[in-house]
Amino acid sequence: MQSHNNRAVIAAAGSGKTQHIIDCVLKDPTRRTLVTTYTNENLRQLTERLAYSGGGVIPRLVTTMGWYTFLMNQCARPYQSAVLSEAGIMRGLNFVGERPRFASKNNPKFYYLDSNKAVYRNEVAALAVEANRLSGGKVVDRLAAMYDHIYIDEVQDMTGHDLELLDLLLASPIATTLVGDPRQATTPTNNSSKNKKFKGGGIAAWLYKRADMCVIDERVESHRCNQAICDFADSLYPDLPQTVSMNEGITGHDGIFDIRPEEVSSYVERYAPVVLRHQKNSDTQGLDAMNFGVSKGSTFDRVLIFPTKPMTHYYHNRDPEKAGDLARLYVAVTRARYSVAFVIP
Amino acid sequence: MLAKIVVQNYRTFRRFELDFDPEVNTLVGDNDTGKSTLLEAIGLALTGRIRGRQLSQELSPYLFHRDATREYVAALKAGRPAPPPEIIIDLFLTNKADLAALRGTNNLLKIDEPGVRVRIALDPNYMPEYEAFISDPSNVRLVPTEYYEVEWLAFSGNRITSRSIPATASLIDASTIQLQSGVDYYLNGIISANLEPRERVELARAYRSLRENFSGDDSIIKINEKLRGAPRDVSDRKLTLNIDVSHRSSWESNIVPHLDELPFQFVGKGEQSTLKILLALNKDVDEAHIVLVEEPENHLSFPNLGKLVKKIRDKCQGKQVFITTHSSYVLNKLGLEKLVLLSEAGGFRLDGLPADTRDYFRKLPGYETLRLVLARKSILVEGPSDELIVQRAYLDQHGRLPIEDGIDVISVRAISFKRFLDIAILLKKNHVTIVTDNDGKDTADVRANYEGYIAHGNVTVCVGEDKRYKTLESQLLNANSLAMMNEILGKSYGSEEDLLKHMTADKNKTTCALTIFNSAQSVNMPGYIQDAIA
Repeated sequence: MQSHNNRAVIAAAGSGKTQHIIDCVLKDPTRRTLVTTYTNENLRQLTERLAYSGGGVIPRLVTTMGWYTFLMNQCARPYQSAVLSEAGIMRGLNFVGERPRFASKNNPKFYYLDSNKAVYRNEVAALAVEANRLSGGKVVDRLAAMYDHIYIDEVQDMTGHDLELLDLLLASPIATTLVGDPRQATTPTNNSSKNKKFKGGGIAAWLYKRADMCVIDERVESHRCNQAICDFADSLYPDLPQTVSMNEGITGHDGIFDIRPEEVSSYVERYAPVVLRHQKNSDTQGLDAMNFGVSKGSTFDRVLIFPTKPMTHYYHNRDPEKAGDLARLYVAVTRARYSVAFVIP
Repeated sequence: MLAKIVVQNYRTFRRFELDFDPEVNTLVGDNDTGKSTLLEAIGLALTGRIRGRQLSQELSPYLFHRDATREYVAALKAGRPAPPPEIIIDLFLTNKADLAALRGTNNLLKIDEPGVRVRIALDPNYMPEYEAFISDPSNVRLVPTEYYEVEWLAFSGNRITSRSIPATASLIDASTIQLQSGVDYYLNGIISANLEPRERVELARAYRSLRENFSGDDSIIKINEKLRGAPRDVSDRKLTLNIDVSHRSSWESNIVPHLDELPFQFVGKGEQSTLKILLALNKDVDEAHIVLVEEPENHLSFPNLGKLVKKIRDKCQGKQVFITTHSSYVLNKLGLEKLVLLSEAGGFRLDGLPADTRDYFRKLPGYETLRLVLARKSILVEGPSDELIVQRAYLDQHGRLPIEDGIDVISVRAISFKRFLDIAILLKKNHVTIVTDNDGKDTADVRANYEGYIAHGNVTVCVGEDKRYKTLESQLLNANSLAMMNEILGKSYGSEEDLLKHMTADKNKTTCALTIFNSAQSVNMPGYIQDAIA
């Protein structure tokens, strides 16, 4: 019999991961459940869809909360005195600043807090973990008294000391479900150097190492992308399971294409793709476009990608080591149901 | 349920800590020991309100403990660093699983419990203004609360709203019944809380239709028609009389509870406070309900107080009651073990009291236990004659009555001495002297009877010497002569026996003692009485 009640869902793009969380949460409304994720956009989607599927309101025992709200208010703040030796002093979150490089943990107020007593973004999770350690496990005790089940969506965003907190949750009596796609790690919660090797796509390796602490559930069926698109995206991450397309629709223009810059306007006229770009100052020939990162979570029939130099290089050589920002490229490609076109000079 | 309170710098409390009884807490203490302040602090932590208003609107420098203010001002003037004082009220709740969200160590004791906190502290947003203000310390006389903020927090450190608190509180202060119009704030709260949400909606709806019907009344229609012509020279609009049906004037301001057809404010004050207390106690809620009662004996006759106290006892099941009182009757009836004797730093309980002594006072609630509890020094005597003689002896010796020195002479029946001593030995700071006859026994034997109490160090037992003189009267006669005593009493008995017979006759006892008390002659006091008042 398994000695834990945890699950990790490694989901491919388009596998219906968000709906999966909603279904699991609503299945048993008698459990006190927390659903948390890093980005505001995803939190909004989860909250709205929980309310929608729950008949207009979120079930009484279900709470949705941003990852930093969770770290600050439910983990670090209640037991801050164990670390900071003073109660009630930590205030808000310093999202931009970083702790002084040579600050020592022997001076915790200087290490974790800025001059306004706000906690440095990179150190919030560390403060939470330290508070748990120094209080003899009270942080986790309290969470266990509040929640029966915690769902963490977009777990690939978790990095640095977040991962240590995840370890504490996996070892706790709380049922913990971690959901994410290691290939879509576009928004790390912090840029601490801790656990650097598991950053981004490395979360898969981190999860596989914990196979004794959680059941690993690979959801490889994409209801969105056709097989050609799945295969192209999969080739970015050869170590992860291959995606199986459930989309058998044929439109006559299906799969991966490349066009020359001068063909863009006629292509756009003919196929009306959504234009995706790396960032705001990328040249898209004046076309309205969406950043790769922002497009995460969306579905379009066709996309037209203005790639970065390394992405173009990848298109020619298919060498993931030299493809640059793999996660963003993966996200961009897997937005499309039927066709992906790259603008290649 | 409330488990404990810790208060810092709030009014009379510099640093105060008290554990609560889960059912009844009878708060007694001298004036200015903070009985009302404690109730106020509990109410504040539970509701965020003080006297019905938001604390942030009632913020004033006088909420701060005067020593905190004084030290702060002195430090500033001396150029020493002076952190601006903070008021903190930490209310600890009984640890239950469903209160986990309120749990944490952000409290003055840094222990991991659920609870709520009111913190009045410098608002960091006003730091530059504050620093400019204190840069000239001669300006600073009080805590500059203009730069302060009020935070209402859980022990998790997170802000809370009244919805976060799993308990409701009713504060009943019978001494300040204020009725401006209709139902006052407390009564309104109590009535609303007794109604189901559905009933509240019905009440509001019925009230609204009542007001709407007003304008349909024949006489009002006629009046309004007459008025319609009136103000032409001022305005072209129609002028009519009607009742305000806007949301702002809801039923609370106009509907008044009636007792036997009498509007509430015309009912006697005693009845008003009784009604308020009973409404609060009758409330049937899922949440923990905290009832705070200030001096229920106010405005009440003794028999009515008896009825009320019985009801409080019967109805407080499942509720936590905090009651301040100056009445021994209330104290005895609610149980001496529920007593909390307040001081500036905390409270003292009589929970070590033997069960039979508790029952004794509960059954005989007429005893002045509170006097014994409150007096730093008391002398227990066997009856009114002894009381008068001891008073006289004290007056002769010290030139004033014992009560002027804070010494209370309490007359009790001799058989209840030990019951009172059971209380006395728990109150280490109080000294109790017993003045007793020897009843024909050796002094040593009588004293031996109290040995266990004397050993505690705060009990003195004064026994009439020489077993031949077994009563107060025979002791007095022995200390003076037949002639002197005849003169004092204005009698001319021929023998000591006859005089003694006169003095000890039941009908004369108190009269003789009163005559001695008032006598202009000097009176020799027996040795044991002198010991008692030395």
